[in-house]
Amino acid sequence: MIQPIIKTENLCFSYSKSKNDISALDLEVPRGSVYGFLGPNGSGKTTTIRLLLGLLRKQKGSISLFGQPFEENRIDNLARVGALIENPSLYGHLNARENLKIAARYRGGVPKNRIEEVLEIVKLSYVKKKKVKAFSLGMKQRLGLAISLLNKPELLILDEPANGLDPKGIIEMRSLIRELNEQHDTTIFISSHLLSEIEKTCSHVGIIREGKMLFQNTVAALKNSQTGKLVVEIETNDTSSASEIAKELQMNPDIADEQSLNVVINRKDEIPGLIDNLRNRQIAVYQVRIKDNLEELFLSLTEN
Amino acid sequence: MNSLSYFLSSTKNETVKLKRTFAFWLSVIGAFFIPLIYLLYYLLKYEKLIPKEGENPWDSFMTSQITAASPLLIPMFIILVTSLIVQIEHKSLSVKHLFTLPIPKWSVYFGKLFIVLGLVLFTYVLFALLVFIVGYTVGGVHGELQMWEHTPNVSLFVKLLFRSFISVLGIIGLQFWLSFRFKNFIVPLGIGMVLFITGLIVYQAKESIYYPYAYSMLSLFPLDSKDVNAMVWFPRVALYSIGYFLLFSVLGFLDIRRMNIK
Repeated sequence: MIQPIIKTENLCFSYSKSKNDISALDLEVPRGSVYGFLGPNGSGKTTTIRLLLGLLRKQKGSISLFGQPFEENRIDNLARVGALIENPSLYGHLNARENLKIAARYRGGVPKNRIEEVLEIVKLSYVKKKKVKAFSLGMKQRLGLAISLLNKPELLILDEPANGLDPKGIIEMRSLIRELNEQHDTTIFISSHLLSEIEKTCSHVGIIREGKMLFQNTVAALKNSQTGKLVVEIETNDTSSASEIAKELQMNPDIADEQSLNVVINRKDEIPGLIDNLRNRQIAVYQVRIKDNLEELFLSLTEN
Repeated sequence: MNSLSYFLSSTKNETVKLKRTFAFWLSVIGAFFIPLIYLLYYLLKYEKLIPKEGENPWDSFMTSQITAASPLLIPMFIILVTSLIVQIEHKSLSVKHLFTLPIPKWSVYFGKLFIVLGLVLFTYVLFALLVFIVGYTVGGVHGELQMWEHTPNVSLFVKLLFRSFISVLGIIGLQFWLSFRFKNFIVPLGIGMVLFITGLIVYQAKESIYYPYAYSMLSLFPLDSKDVNAMVWFPRVALYSIGYFLLFSVLGFLDIRRMNIK
């Protein structure tokens, strides 16, 4: 088995004595993966990331990065990590290039042309001399990402990277993540509260709620973990008759609202037969959609 | 990288971060404040200020500017400028970034503290230069003031300024720690003001030698005698101030190093 790049065992942390913010968290991020760390707001994603990077002091358990215990190897470990935690840390009174220069000087050993390179990667070259306080949230997010790429990290930790990005920016972020992972062999740890985001980019997923890990495996395993049944939403002009027809076909219908009907089927190829039946009885079909059942799974996992 | 290069790159970065900040401009304005008032004072009221026979006009010109600045303005300036410099990090949410860089935390803390000292020292040097420039300017405009006929007692002046600078080190150590600890600008500012006003009330008591916020007052006078010539570079106040500075800096760092960065 390949050694995990991030591994925590029985990690515990609480901000106050009354409540455990992170409890007995076992995190395992395989090298070369794109790991989606998924959980609703306030579930402890950022707290976990802060623990991983040594910003918060753990109260119990162990953290190791690159197979070494973090505390004893803090500087060595951090030299191989790039991180973007919550809102990016940027000096508003300085311009984009100056911000990058500062980060590069702290790190040491960053070649000069790397600054232009990362500006190019995040598509900010055109505003490199503009003061950061005039940047939009999405631009700040990109600059924060550029800073985290300066040292060509082996492990990139991104906390809600899609925050503030426009749709185009989100798509670019996705392809950047893919490129870094595939071409530069960067392991990427992304936290998000959006399942769809994780599903599109990640190979592995960990789902956290109230500081506890609920599920951790590959995205494929998450998809397979379901019953195999599909829920199809059908928009018609006559839901009650449609429901009758679905019953005849043994498809467990459930009227969602006046226009739409949820039907449970076993396989995708049952859909055309169902539509044929509806059309034969002169029922109008406006829309048929396979419901994202991962989303339901996520909700069922993260809600009580 | 070795310790020295960590420290050097940290201080270099701190200098870059000061660019276009209010903290930097405050240190310039702070240096100009008293000399500008004296420029107007000597230009407008020169008749009253013409020296008596055999008197060096520079003596009162220089020492009165220091005694005007040191007790009140300098501590307030220190409290404000220290908070402002650390505020650069809090405002840009950068503490979390700095502490996840592959550099020792001490290089961040002491690099920044070093720059605070540097900026305060810069203000003192600029102030000293401005005092001389203003002195020769008013002497040039009003010959009766005899500024050009006498030479200023530079060593006494520098000694007074040096003692004043050393006497505020203790406050810098504590204010820097507070400013790092509390994101909210008002906290170090408020605590600093209360401690300083307490200093104003108690500085005449003998025990105030143990209270760093009274040192900028105490540094100007030898405790036992009023003889200015008896002044040494490092009076007892200076040694205590340095002691407090070291104590607060080390305690501050130990505290910040263990702090949870939220």
